[in-house]
Parts: sequence; structure tokens; C-alpha cells
Amino acid sequence: MNFVFRKLQASFTQQAFVFSQTLPVCRAAPSVQCPTWGAAFVNERQHHSMPTHEIGRWKHLMKKRVQKKKKDRFQMKPIVASTDSAYGTLNVQVSGYDMALVEHYTQYIHNLCNRLGINVGLCYALPTKTMEVMLMQEKGTKMYVDAVLKTHERVVQLRSLDTMLCPILMDVVLKNQPEGVKLSVKEFTEEDFKGRFKERPEMRELMSQINY
Amino acid sequence: MAAPCGGAVGRPLCQFLSCLSRTAVRYTWRRQFSATSLCRTTLQTQRVTEREGSPWTLMAAVCLQRLPVISADCHPVEQRFRELTRQMELEKSLFSDHELRLLEDAERMNRKQTGSYDSDEEDDNRGQDIVLAQDLEDSWEQKLKKFQPAPRVKADVDEDLTSVERCLADSLVLLAEQQVGSEKLWLLPQAEWQEGDTLRQTAERALASLPAAGFSATFLSNAPCGVYKYKLPKAARTDSLVGTKVFFFKAVLSAMSPSAASNAPLMWLKKSEMQRFVKPAYTMKVERFILDP
Repeated sequence: MNFVFRKLQASFTQQAFVFSQTLPVCRAAPSVQCPTWGAAFVNERQHHSMPTHEIGRWKHLMKKRVQKKKKDRFQMKPIVASTDSAYGTLNVQVSGYDMALVEHYTQYIHNLCNRLGINVGLCYALPTKTMEVMLMQEKGTKMYVDAVLKTHERVVQLRSLDTMLCPILMDVVLKNQPEGVKLSVKEFTEEDFKGRFKERPEMRELMSQINY
Repeated sequence: MAAPCGGAVGRPLCQFLSCLSRTAVRYTWRRQFSATSLCRTTLQTQRVTEREGSPWTLMAAVCLQRLPVISADCHPVEQRFRELTRQMELEKSLFSDHELRLLEDAERMNRKQTGSYDSDEEDDNRGQDIVLAQDLEDSWEQKLKKFQPAPRVKADVDEDLTSVERCLADSLVLLAEQQVGSEKLWLLPQAEWQEGDTLRQTAERALASLPAAGFSATFLSNAPCGVYKYKLPKAARTDSLVGTKVFFFKAVLSAMSPSAASNAPLMWLKKSEMQRFVKPAYTMKVERFILDP
């Protein structure tokens, strides 16, 4: 078992893991220098005297993630209310005809918000809308399909936006807007959330029958 | 064009915040104050005593920007890389429906030329199509040739400093020539703060009071983005008047009515051109919050 463990560690070091550089610093006196890193686990292994021990261990550094139940996805996270110095939940909607541009611009906004420290809640896509452009034929009354335009839409949801950061973010985002891409920043409401779900006509009828 | 990294934004941000806490920007938030936390209540009491004896006149200015209309030209390295990636993508890509149709039609034509051709042997009924894919492509080419895009750069409009349509690839800032004290200076349009106004309303008033009004602007936030402190020369200072503090608000030009007079003292300048017309101390403070893409 130990042999297997050492082989795993060796493979981690070959991948040049970042934590392998920091671990030797605290490994000298593990019980004292890194109490927050699960000292209990480290103390248990103190009898291992090999210098390269525990190189590549990283899971203890991450915060504990609660396993999300699948049902949570269909419940809306509570809308953050706006305070005196921060806006509430905002939807930044990016839409356009060119999918590559829209996608890249959304990723740019997401990365920018991460770097500026803005809390990003969700990042989702709305269904693509297809528009057919029909033209009248020159000699005749029939319409024929000239072009098919697809409108793609992506939404980045910001949990709360500080009023100080707002002009900086908006300025950078507007100045880097590509041609052909529309940007709109709106408040997030319940209707926006409900609008993402499909209509269930039978359910609606049954509910109306019950309430009747 | 790259976004400012966290460190660079953080530094002017905390400097700006520290300077705000010293100055009277509390006035901006007076309307929305709810005084929930302890530090806010202490600020409130301080404000009452300070306001009566503040030796600074407050003014609000608006930094109205016209955003770039077209994307900037690429650097030569960027152009070469773009060509390279385009070539690589083309070589790795698969045929589209239209190109497949073209190939099938060409192959069918070749087969028709040979003597032993039986149109009944065709699997699909493409042979009965009147319009070939090649004809479609030719008609599309004709339509493309009829389309004339507008020129990206117009040299004569670029030279005119008062025109809004100059330098479509850069963002421009509006400067107005205003009377300050005894001299006329080129600065961002400003107006003096009056009791009962928030600073942002003062900035909106500054924009509306320009001689060639007709700008409809969207203000980006209720919080100012910069401040400029001007102390009067020692001779003009009194006990109650030490100088002025100007707070800048960012706004984005959304529409402009064509009735704007062309002889009004207004200029649209790029960030690099501002040094020619504006005083250096002022430029130093203003340049800090104008982003150059």
C-alpha cells in the first residue's frame, strides 16, 4: 500500500504540481506551522521519514464542497437585495449572431469579474433563436428563404456589484465590446428565472382544474 | 485592450477610497443613507459639523466618452497570427453542406459527359434540380459585389477636433472651454455643487448647461471615479475659501442630436491628445481614470 502511495506521489511531482513547492516549507514542523491545513492528518503521518513524503497532496487545501443535490438546480438562489453601496443581483446579457464572438466575449467578462473580485453567481446560455429572412421573388409572388440568422444569447449573473467598481467594470466591458455583439445589464427578477423553463400546458390545465 | 489586472485596479482604488474618506463625498450618499453600521453614524455627525465650516467649494464634472465604433486595426504580429490560425482552421475543417453539393454537382456533370449515362440510375433526385449550387454561388458573389462598406478611416474628419465622428477606432473624451476664475481653460465640463443636489445631479446639470447641448448620455454610476483638488494661490485664499474640489463622473454618449452648433467651444480628444490643451496638473489626475483601449 505504501509502495502504491509513493508511486502516486512520484507521478504528481512529475506533473510539477504547485503545492509541491510549498509543502516542504511546512513539513519541517507540521504540527506548528500549518495548523489550518488539517494538522491532525499531518501528525498521523509523522512516522514517515522520507523527505518527499506528501508531495502532491492537495485535496486538504481546498474548502469542503457540499455535494449539490440535483434538485437544487431548479430552485432559484435568493436574489440579493441592493444596499446603499452595492447593486443587487444583476444579469449581464450578451447576444449576437456570431457564436464565437458571443462566447469569447462572455468568457472575457467572466474572467474580468473574477479578477476584479466580483462575485459571479451563474453563467448560463439562453436557447438559440432562429430567424429566417424571406425575400419576395423578383417576378412572382412567392417568398423564398434568403438567409437563416441565429441569435445566440449568454448571461452572466453577478451576485452583488459594488458601486465603486461599477464604472470601472462597465467602462472596460463597453470599450472591449466587439462589433455585432449587444450588451445589456439588467436586474435579475423572478420572471427571468421562470422564463428559462419550458411551458407545461397539461400541468397548467390540471392546476386550473384543481383551483376551479 | 487587456483588462487591468487586479493589482493595478486595486492600487488606484484604495488611493481613491482613502482620498474620498477625507473629502466631503458623503454628500453624494446623503439621500441613500440608512446609517446601519457604527462607522456610518460617526460619519454623519462629523458631516454636520464640517459642512458649516468647510473651506472648499465643491464642483462636479462629467467625463463624457464616445466609445469606439469600429475595432482597432491589428498589430502586424496579430495580423500574421490571425492568418496562420485561419489557415490552420481551414485545413482542419470539414466540408459544409453547400460545398458537398458543389462537389456532387461537378461529379454529376462529369458523368453526364460520358456516353453511358442513365439519369434513372441516380439515387437521389438531385439531377432534376434546375438551379445548381454553382449558380447559387455566382448569384451570391454578385450580391456581395454590389455591397459597398463605408470607409474605416476618413483622414479629413480625423483632423477636425470638434467632430464626434473622428477616430472611430478610439474612444474620445469631451472637453469644453470654461471660464475658471479669470482665465478660460479647457477642461471637462463642470458645474458647482448646490445645496439639495447630489453630486451626480450636479454633473448632469454640467452636461446639460453646455452651450451645444444635445448629448444624451448614460451615467455609469452614482459614485465618482476621480477627484481633483485645486488650492487657490496664497494671495486669494481666505479663511472660508481655500480652494475647489472637483469630482468626476463617468458617462457614455448614447446619442447626439445633429443640431449641435459647430462653433461651440467643444472638443473631442483622444487621451494622448489631451496634454496639448489641458494643464499638466489636471491632466495627471484625469488621466488616471480614463482607460485607453
